[in-house]
Amino acid sequence: MTLFNIALKNIRKNMKSYGLYIGSTIFSIVIFFTFATLKYSGDISELAEESKQISGIMNASAFVLIIFVAIFILYSNAFFMRKRKKEVALYSLMGVRKQKIGFLLFFENMVIGIISLIVGIVAGFFLSQLLLSLLLKLMGLNIEIGFVFSSNAIIETMIVFMIIFLFTSLQGYRIIYRFKLIDLFQASKKGEDLPVAKAISVILGLAALVAAYWLALQDLTSPVWSYLGLAMPIVIIALTVLGTFLIFNSVLVYVLHRMKNRKFWAWKGLNLMTASQLLYRIRGNAKTLTIIATLSATTITAGGAVFGVYYDTGKTVEQSTPFTFMWQGHEENIDSSIVKESIHVDTKTIRVNSEQMEKEYTVIDQSTFEKLAKALEWEQTALNLTKGKVAMVEPFYNEQWMEEVANVSLQDVNYEVVQMYGESIFNLSTLPGTVIVTQDEVYNALHAEEITYQAVQLDNYKTHIDLSKELEAKPSTVDFSSAVQNYQDTLEGTGVMLFVGSFLGLVFLVATGSIIFFKMMTEAEDDKDKYSILYNIGVPKKEIKRTIRNQVGFVFLAPLILGLLHGTVALVAFSNLLQMNLLIPVVIWMATYVFIYILYYFITIQGFHKTIFHSIQEGN
Amino acid sequence: MESLLQVKNVEKVFGKGTNTFKALEDISFTIDHGEFVGIMGPSGAGKSTLLHVLATIDSPTKGDIYIEDENVAKMKGNQLVDFRRDHLGFIFQDYNLLDSLTVRENIVLPLAIAKLPVKEMDEKVESMAKAFGIAAILDKYPYQISGGQKQRTASCRALVSNPKLIFADEPTGALDSKSATDLLQALSSLNEEQETTIMIVTHDAFAASFCRRILFISDGHLFKEMNRGTHSRKAFYQMILEELAQLGGGGHDVI
Repeated sequence: MTLFNIALKNIRKNMKSYGLYIGSTIFSIVIFFTFATLKYSGDISELAEESKQISGIMNASAFVLIIFVAIFILYSNAFFMRKRKKEVALYSLMGVRKQKIGFLLFFENMVIGIISLIVGIVAGFFLSQLLLSLLLKLMGLNIEIGFVFSSNAIIETMIVFMIIFLFTSLQGYRIIYRFKLIDLFQASKKGEDLPVAKAISVILGLAALVAAYWLALQDLTSPVWSYLGLAMPIVIIALTVLGTFLIFNSVLVYVLHRMKNRKFWAWKGLNLMTASQLLYRIRGNAKTLTIIATLSATTITAGGAVFGVYYDTGKTVEQSTPFTFMWQGHEENIDSSIVKESIHVDTKTIRVNSEQMEKEYTVIDQSTFEKLAKALEWEQTALNLTKGKVAMVEPFYNEQWMEEVANVSLQDVNYEVVQMYGESIFNLSTLPGTVIVTQDEVYNALHAEEITYQAVQLDNYKTHIDLSKELEAKPSTVDFSSAVQNYQDTLEGTGVMLFVGSFLGLVFLVATGSIIFFKMMTEAEDDKDKYSILYNIGVPKKEIKRTIRNQVGFVFLAPLILGLLHGTVALVAFSNLLQMNLLIPVVIWMATYVFIYILYYFITIQGFHKTIFHSIQEGN
Repeated sequence: MESLLQVKNVEKVFGKGTNTFKALEDISFTIDHGEFVGIMGPSGAGKSTLLHVLATIDSPTKGDIYIEDENVAKMKGNQLVDFRRDHLGFIFQDYNLLDSLTVRENIVLPLAIAKLPVKEMDEKVESMAKAFGIAAILDKYPYQISGGQKQRTASCRALVSNPKLIFADEPTGALDSKSATDLLQALSSLNEEQETTIMIVTHDAFAASFCRRILFISDGHLFKEMNRGTHSRKAFYQMILEELAQLGGGGHDVI
């Protein structure tokens, strides 16, 4: 029997224990291949040509994905190898040379790799078709597409994974060489001291986190920003990661210590056991938990931001393009049944020289303003200007960043600004800049050329893309701007962002969940004996299950809560920066995240129970 | 007075179909309140199987086991677990202590599960630790103490909830003779002073000599019973050795 045969047989016979490893490998391949197909698919490529941004996003995401998939496979491979140490030891004990065992494991891993590569690519092919149609829908494109098959995607997937498999196979080889037979006979397990938290690191941890949050919530205008400048984000991230680590390493250890020493709580049921198990577990896993919390925070923040922007597309468009159509020139024939409002706007452009700079203002009269404001359904439409007073419309006006303009002089006459509007009254691509509203008589008296614009508001504006194209094509519509077109364009960009964001978010989430799952399974293996003892001294299964639930729950919950907290702070900062209200999309996103996370919790509990109770049954 | 433990025609068969093995056959005996009973026999005689069946960790194929007036052979699932928790105590050869808990916490565990008031738990742990001479090491962790101290801790844990019946499976198996003597003396004085009922399974004649009565089993059958009566422990030890010598074949592995 050749070595290759043994390797093949080994896999066939141990399908069950290989299942988890092969499963997670196939999963990684499916994810990566699907993404690669999307990246190379014709429809997206076309889009990508139009927008450098999209191809940039896709490439950067592919890179992140490769790193992530590699870490994930390495992690499950390590878990898998750990489970097989006994088998390896047995071969070694029987006198098989290390070299041979190494070859065996190398071959075996390569066989697993090739099989999962084939399965993964086939499964990924179907998944990518499904996701592609979903993506086009999100981008607001109604295109029928056939099956997309990309040889580039296959080649890229193969190259990436062959490298990863080669690496894990070599890793297996390395383990054999480091392996010592004595490990099999772990006769004397050394006891570990109960972890103790140093007061200084408890305080430092809390302080780091508070400082990071405080910094994140500072305004761009605050002195801290000017002091730290561009180093600010790095400082925030560093403080957050440090704080998170110290929370796990010290703060939680301290809290658990206090709880364990409070007899009224601890000496009740298995609380004592739960607390002491967690103490060892949290401290031993502080690094992993920090990674998980940071990953969760990143996923939550990125996903929330992307989803928020997508959710906000309509609003963003309406901010810069309040009217469905606007152009310079005369009225066009538009089906009157769909027109909500059609306004004829006369404007004059006045150049003002102040001390610092030269500025151009668009001036309109009060009656035009009132018509426009009414069409846009502004709250305050009536403007009662008296002599010497004007109003100002400054799109994106921000009290914090801009100085208030109290006076303005038009053709050597000084006027007092009595009213300030912070929204755009015109489509910015047709008529940008600051608008001044004057009394009708003042407007008429201004010496400047009068330019006429048309502003049209339609019912249900998002559906009139054809009309928009038709109007735009006419030579008579100068500086044409369209909310419909604008919406469509924005949607294409944010749609891809949303898709890529949620795709990566999902992958991160699954990987995070799986890492905890693997960790907990390893620990279940280590803790088997402890639970057998409990069962033997008469602790009912119900109680054992409860302490498992609490322990696993704590390990899941602690990084999730920190991740959500970090994410919330980051998103609050983000929405302050962009002046967007992200509450609804972010809550939807977080709820989805938590939901999937909870699913993982239950799967892990199931696995934990299986391991523990299987061994208890055997012990009998 | 009614017996504490009544075993009637217990039989245990392993395996299925034609490939069966009778580990226990037609075993009947009784144990009264406050007894200190040993079960001896060569390897493979069925000692451990008998202990498992009596301790409700395994169930007999046939027969009845009454503890006071409850038939544990007919109990199932949670009922069994509750019964075990409330009425039985266990001492194992390999101690079965939890590494992550201190000696005190290990002992308090059964009481905590029964949800007693904290003050009462504290008192019980202290007095039990004194009886076994481990009061000074209550706040140490299992890896910091010796095997003998570990086994005394395990015994404290078994006895602290005041069970009706203590089962000990080769309690001195991993101990040196000094530690074994300390443990057995502590157990036998508890038996005399507090009338705790103890049943130990052992193949060590020295350990068995601390018992008041010994049941010998061989090939799944109960074949002899010895009472210490008024004999001294040393005389009883000699009697046991003689008996084991007569048992023949298995003789060498009991010393």
